[in-house]
Amino acid sequence: MDSTSDKALMMKVKNGDLDKLGLLFERYNRPLFSFFYRMSKEAELCEDLVQSVFERILKYRETYTGDGKFTTWMFSIARNAHIDHYRKLKREGIPVEIDEERLELDDEETKVVVNKQEKKDLLEMALERLDEDKREVVILSRYEGFKYKEIAEILESTEGAIKVKMFRAMKELKDLVHTLNEECSNE
Amino acid sequence: MNEQHEQLIADYLAGSLDDAGKTKVEELIASGEIDFMEFRELEKLHEDLGSLLTPAPSKEMSSNFFAMLEEEKRSIKPSWVESVINHIRQVLEELTMPRLAYGLVLLFIGGFVGTQLNGDQSEIEQLSQEVQDMREMMMVNMLEGASAADRLKAVTISSELTSVDSEAIHALLFTLNNDPSVNVRVQTIEALKRWGDNERVRQGLVKSIAKQQSPIVIIELADAMLELELRNSAPEFRKLIEERTLDFTVKQKLENSIAALS
Repeated sequence: MDSTSDKALMMKVKNGDLDKLGLLFERYNRPLFSFFYRMSKEAELCEDLVQSVFERILKYRETYTGDGKFTTWMFSIARNAHIDHYRKLKREGIPVEIDEERLELDDEETKVVVNKQEKKDLLEMALERLDEDKREVVILSRYEGFKYKEIAEILESTEGAIKVKMFRAMKELKDLVHTLNEECSNE
Repeated sequence: MNEQHEQLIADYLAGSLDDAGKTKVEELIASGEIDFMEFRELEKLHEDLGSLLTPAPSKEMSSNFFAMLEEEKRSIKPSWVESVINHIRQVLEELTMPRLAYGLVLLFIGGFVGTQLNGDQSEIEQLSQEVQDMREMMMVNMLEGASAADRLKAVTISSELTSVDSEAIHALLFTLNNDPSVNVRVQTIEALKRWGDNERVRQGLVKSIAKQQSPIVIIELADAMLELELRNSAPEFRKLIEERTLDFTVKQKLENSIAALS
């Protein structure tokens, strides 16, 4: 095992060399932030969640076995941190307003999209409207570069089921882009 | 569309289909079982997704992380028994099989050469110098390699050399200042520390401070300066604190280093 591989570094963290977690942080804080950002679109929350992932890695370092890819293990932790955050909000009775807010397109915004032909914005909005479980698969595959088999490990599913979900997510995304386009054109 | 076709298209989008798979997709499109227009739209959409940008996290995120790490480190102070065990474990981890094999081969060659030359000291010295030169040349070449793993190996080789010439020092300093990998730069500092009595290395390490962006590399350099007692590095660190917005932990570390160097 290369002494600077993710696994080797994490094994060193497990054995008490906590400074090596700094190297892992340098390597993965951006991909983790990007994952959370695509899921929630709240930069401040995303930074808290990245911190939470590394706190959990420290807390549970004794349970790290080195089986499988380190990133798969880390993103499983990231996913749990994300789920736990929204569960906590729900338990505390705080409504999750971001979905509603970000799905609403005000008139001005709509015009901007149409006038400037900003397809990117339209796609961004369509991605936000996608069901969370489908969005998660698209993000892990398209932005984080995971293979379907690895996504299946993170989401505790099967490779076949993930492929089907990816296809259906892309199909739904295509339909959402069309719908948004029509909504904008009718304004 | 059945699930098998859906899986096939998902594989196509991820770029993981082999030639047979691609042919299969083409056949299904030709037979109309996969709608060509829809397929093209999905392909385009998948491509367009790559154009969406993600903002960068703030610098506070990094500061918060390193503060948390420092706090965790403070809360765990290992007993001296644990420290000794950890050290032994680390030494054993370094002893990988290829290294052991390499060591044995060198031992055999040494033994063979020793018996052949029958105590001819000058020839042994000449031979060992040639081996040394070859390893040094190999290291310089590998430092220019495209893969970070190769460059890390090169840095490791440098730490096994008994002496280095100016070309090797130049290559290591160039790597320290320009390599895109943080790991390679950190290992290079470790390697250069071995030649800390060389004036060019000492000057190069000090000059490198201003060129580094990564907090880990800066901290590693601060440790190296203390170890090599490079007092002229203090103004460079001070400049860094004044001119840049550094993480709290890094700033604190540099202030401590400046105090120790003064």
